[in-house]
Amino acid sequence: MTGDGRHTIVVDLGYGDAGKGTVVDLLCADGPVGAVIRFNGGAQAAHNVVTPDGRHHTFAQFGSGTLHGVPTHLSRFTVVDPLALAAEAEQLNALGVPDPFGLLTIDAEALLSTPWHVAANRLRELGRGAGRHGSCGMGVGETTAYALRHPDAPRAGDTLDPARLRHRLAAVRDRLTDELGELGGPPLDEVVSVFRAFGSIVSIVDGGSTRKRLLDAGRCVFEGAQGVLLDEWFGWHPYTTWSTTTFENAETLLAEAGHEAMRLGVVRTYTTRHGAGPLVTEDASLTAALPERHNGTGRWQGPFRVGHFDAVAHRYAVEVTGGVDALAITHLDAPDRVPELAICPAYTLDAPSGPTLGRLVPGGRGDLAYQERLTALLGRARPARLDRPAHWASAIGALLDAPVLIESYGPSVTDKRVLGGALAA
Amino acid sequence: MGSGRWSTDVYGAAASYRAATGRSAFAYSDSGARKVHERLDPRGVDVRESRDSDEHPRSTPIAVLFDVTGSMGNVPRTLQSKLPELFGLLQRKGYAADPQIMFGAIGDATCDRVPLQIGQFESDNRMDDDLGAIVLEGGGGGQRTESYELAMYFMARHTSLDSVERRGRRGYLFLIGDELPYPQVKPAEVRRWIGDDLAEPISVAAIVAELRQRFEVYYILPSGASYAGDPEILGYWRRLLGQHVIELDDLDAVCETIALTVGLGEEAIDLAEGLTDLEDVGSTATGSVGKALATIGSARGSVVRTDLPGAGLDTDGPDDGLIRL
Repeated sequence: MTGDGRHTIVVDLGYGDAGKGTVVDLLCADGPVGAVIRFNGGAQAAHNVVTPDGRHHTFAQFGSGTLHGVPTHLSRFTVVDPLALAAEAEQLNALGVPDPFGLLTIDAEALLSTPWHVAANRLRELGRGAGRHGSCGMGVGETTAYALRHPDAPRAGDTLDPARLRHRLAAVRDRLTDELGELGGPPLDEVVSVFRAFGSIVSIVDGGSTRKRLLDAGRCVFEGAQGVLLDEWFGWHPYTTWSTTTFENAETLLAEAGHEAMRLGVVRTYTTRHGAGPLVTEDASLTAALPERHNGTGRWQGPFRVGHFDAVAHRYAVEVTGGVDALAITHLDAPDRVPELAICPAYTLDAPSGPTLGRLVPGGRGDLAYQERLTALLGRARPARLDRPAHWASAIGALLDAPVLIESYGPSVTDKRVLGGALAA
Repeated sequence: MGSGRWSTDVYGAAASYRAATGRSAFAYSDSGARKVHERLDPRGVDVRESRDSDEHPRSTPIAVLFDVTGSMGNVPRTLQSKLPELFGLLQRKGYAADPQIMFGAIGDATCDRVPLQIGQFESDNRMDDDLGAIVLEGGGGGQRTESYELAMYFMARHTSLDSVERRGRRGYLFLIGDELPYPQVKPAEVRRWIGDDLAEPISVAAIVAELRQRFEVYYILPSGASYAGDPEILGYWRRLLGQHVIELDDLDAVCETIALTVGLGEEAIDLAEGLTDLEDVGSTATGSVGKALATIGSARGSVVRTDLPGAGLDTDGPDDGLIRL
């Protein structure tokens, strides 16, 4: 295990939904954690946590340690949606968190998504018709894309400056309307007013010094959003997210503060995908056999899809992230309930007798043409065979060449096993 | 790959943030606390420091202490909700290099349980935590006097400011209230609430003189307080602080007033420029601020310099005492 074993980065090695929330919840229950630091994504994240007493919350912008009272820091790599944040805070308050905003610090550099970004995102996705990307319709990608085109994109720190805030929000509305036509959305004044209220309630901070203080003070958990197979550069283009979903952002933030962390990859015993894009091991009978308690058909994403454990795609994920120090494996209760569930160790191309493929070769970073060719390749791939292992956790650990640190058999912390006690620093 | 589970309705969000303001701003006081929060307890404190650092090389200490007794009505609550904006205002317009803000509260040492609460100089949101931890006393003596002198004693003897000690530049202290100080700093009260042994009482005039070696001291009498506009109270403070007495008819303008006062003191702006800046940032308070600061704005002449021995040690820049940002 590399790193000092103190801080942990939690990254999903699949298409999201592997159980990062439940793993972060466990890490925060396991010992004192100073903060959960978010390093990608935005309000479209959906990390489900269920407490032993049955309370459930879908964490989007708050860290999955919130029910343990662990503060959340949203770094400059996150996209902040002040409207969705308020709704989530209300729900946390109802669940017994007295002052959710008091648990939050936000880097002044973090981008803000606005109702116009959301509207533009949905218009574009509708325009794609059958070629939809599987967007969540929350405007996170739209916000990121806008910021690349326009350096004056609204950021969290702008909410402290009424004039600049108004100017920048108006620019978002006007430019996106010019580009796409009438977007709808609330009046500018209302948005300015609520974004200012957001700025006065949440702690908007200098990210560099805040993170240094948090990391120096004690153990922090970096909670990733989405999954490596959706990464903007390494995913199956164009069915990706506008976000770096690997360890990279977290390691940048750690390096700035002079710290290191353990790289923990999360996988499920079966492979799922919410929305469009390749899922080689997909099996409709599994979708029926493994109903999803907290994931359904999304208005914007489409259906939740289920397949056998795709070792080929997960090995690719491990390879493009530069390796993991340990694994957390969730849904280990599923194989017992579903006897046909299996692991796919290799693909065949075009026909059962076609060439066998055990490794997907990563392309160069930023080579989206290559990623598109990989997507096309996956369109021709089928499982070469399906194996049913005797011991799932060790089989997956062996296939991904990493020790298994956490086994999860159910939704709450009491359903988990931490192997080797390696979490305590 | 996630979801869009949480509502993005702008009106619902506005209501949530409004509700959260009420919930969190006075969490400590509203939970029934009648004891000073440990972070704000002046007892046994050696010094509250405002220090230069690599990140903040030219710290500007700004202390805001407000009266939390009953005569102030709802003023403390309004202040508590307005003051967090202060830091942003100062930074945005660059009125002061590296502002470090301290909040505190003044009560009545003869009858209150929490007569003095003093936070730290902070340059980030921790100052908001201090505000949220302040106990609103709501009592007070009813004799038109509060223990301002005890607060001034603490600020004179228990602060350590790099701006003064290294660069010969005074900090800013704003006292916000509506009453008079007691005539003397009393040894028994100092011992009880701060922990120092004083051989004899100190007159208010003497403690103010000592205090002004470290701070430009301003007194703000806001509207909405019991004695707003009271000529006796205004006259007393004017004799003590000269033109540094500010009558404010719109409490919502308190942050703008403080920011502009600092900007004027730092000679970063004149009053007209400051009022234009306020309009730029969408403030509706320019009328009130302009009125409140008319005297100070027009009479500004000399650069803010301390007369402490050892001044002018600053070697890291042109030392004309005036930094334009």
